[in-house]
Amino acid sequence: MDFQSLFQQFLSGGGTLQASTYRSLVLFLPELILCGSIVAMLLARLTSLDKCIPTHWFALLGSLGAFIAVLAQFWELSIDGQPSTLLFTGLAVHDEFSVFFRGFLLFFLVFVVALTVLSGIPDQEDAPDFYTLLCGAVVGMMVMSSANHLLMLFLGIEMASVPSYAMTGFLKGRRQSSEASLKFVVYGAGAAGVMLFGISLLAGLTGTAEFGLLGERLHSIFANGFTASHPEARIAILALLMISVGFAFKLSLVPFHFWCPDAFEGAPAEVAGFLSIASKAAAFALLVRFCMSVTGSAAGVVQGLSLTMGLGLGTLAIITATFGNMAAYSQTNAKRMLAYSTIAHAGYMLMAVSALLVLRSTTGSELAASPEQMKQAIEGLLYYLAVYMFMNLGAFSIIALIRNQTFSEEIDDYKGLIQQAPLLAVGMAICLFSLVGIPPLGGFYGKFFIFAAVFDATRVHWFMWVVLAAGGFNTVLSLFYYVRLAKTMCMDVRPVDARQVSMPSNSPSGMYVLLVCGMVLVLGVIIQPLSRVANHAAAAFF
Amino acid sequence: MGEVGLEAYLFVGAVLFVCGVVCMATKRNGIGVLMGVELVLNGANVNFVAFSRYTPLGLDGQATALFVVVLAAAEAAVALAIALNYYNNHLTIDVDRGNELQG
Repeated sequence: MDFQSLFQQFLSGGGTLQASTYRSLVLFLPELILCGSIVAMLLARLTSLDKCIPTHWFALLGSLGAFIAVLAQFWELSIDGQPSTLLFTGLAVHDEFSVFFRGFLLFFLVFVVALTVLSGIPDQEDAPDFYTLLCGAVVGMMVMSSANHLLMLFLGIEMASVPSYAMTGFLKGRRQSSEASLKFVVYGAGAAGVMLFGISLLAGLTGTAEFGLLGERLHSIFANGFTASHPEARIAILALLMISVGFAFKLSLVPFHFWCPDAFEGAPAEVAGFLSIASKAAAFALLVRFCMSVTGSAAGVVQGLSLTMGLGLGTLAIITATFGNMAAYSQTNAKRMLAYSTIAHAGYMLMAVSALLVLRSTTGSELAASPEQMKQAIEGLLYYLAVYMFMNLGAFSIIALIRNQTFSEEIDDYKGLIQQAPLLAVGMAICLFSLVGIPPLGGFYGKFFIFAAVFDATRVHWFMWVVLAAGGFNTVLSLFYYVRLAKTMCMDVRPVDARQVSMPSNSPSGMYVLLVCGMVLVLGVIIQPLSRVANHAAAAFF
Repeated sequence: MGEVGLEAYLFVGAVLFVCGVVCMATKRNGIGVLMGVELVLNGANVNFVAFSRYTPLGLDGQATALFVVVLAAAEAAVALAIALNYYNNHLTIDVDRGNELQG
């Protein structure tokens, strides 16, 4: 093959659904822009350019540029209405769902970079390292959200995890920080190893690693029904259990949640906020895509497998949500309390995935759920994630801003903050009430959509009633500890010897808090645009 | 020399996996835990290469194994740096001695 034909193949190779390498690179542009800004940051440090141009400008411009590129892709997809395209000979997939998550992650990255600039957590000396790790982790998460191959699944998870370990231990001299990152890396590496073994079993059982083929092969293996006496079914269940260890670690589901409170308490609040939102969102994107492809393809759905997975995830969701809310009660450290709240919220969001799989298991029978109902489950998950981004980011950024002035993250030191910095206290209260799911705030609609999807699934299997009841019970349960923190900040009297905190609303940090908390309010009032976008993204699977 | 068949490879992979998990669960030394992780990853790698020879998985299995080798190296580098940082702050590498974060 001469150069000319190689070049021709580069430009126009690939089949009907597969993009050529050139087209793949064009669709991969957001990731490439982010990678380019990482290289630029490292080069700037090499040439001491970071002394005159602060590194955060590279990160900010890179993430903004990548976000604009994703927006352009979203616009292109929404007018064309073309089906999903496979990139790089089927390693990754480009559809509305992956574009939604890549946009979500980059949008969030812009906010995180802005927060780190305002709170000044990496000093000028460490800034190139910090932003390199941050952007690198986001590239890994974007790979996760568009993965279409078992190798990309593992690669994305590792690319997202390894920088997170380093960022957790970023404050090098602090004992707590080093302990947190050691615990994180030990658990994370163990979970990744178990997950990889499960992946190898699944790949060996089906003889393929591509998501598209995975469902077809499993469907033909289990053509006579999916029962536990089937030897292949046992291997499949073992493999899926091992893979779910990796997912459970990333999503901090009980019993693989131990790292989460420790890592959040030891890490800077900015990093904790980043981990609690971005890595969860990417893991949910990957989980939905993986579950949708494992349980079947266009040829048909493996009903038994889908129902088993749905009920298994439902059980895990109940345990996770209940445990997270129970453990959050006794916490005295604000970041640790929010870590347990993060665990509980992962439980709520997992209920949507569980409902989706249970609904999907009816495909092909007389009870069959319409694609519209399944779309609503995914839509609920996406809406919840979008709201969750603002409310959790708001809470963590307020913790970071208070820490900069009082050097404390203990709940007791937040007493009566409303008398000195009303903006922070009220903003925190808005975020907390939204986390509970009080009606006029964004969190209410997120919970509402998810519970509606679970309710839809109750007609398939009685167990979904238990999931629904657990969801409602947990919402009530969570009210108490969120309200306690809000009460401490807004009702108590500030002790005389407490450190002074001030946050005028016209300072940059004040405006940042206003913007994030304002978005929580807006998403609770104007739900139509976001829910339409989420619905559009969910349509990628049907 | 006759072929040993897929089962023999899977057996070796499973033995490596179990050794690694036991090592991760019982070692108190941070470096020891990381060695357990390496065993687990390489157990999976043996599986991948064996499957690529005996099932339709083909070259995907070998490519995955190569990527995993690189990832394991990257992860080990970061983990060792974190372990060193832990040692600098605590003067021990015993993971059970890290008990300041609890609750």
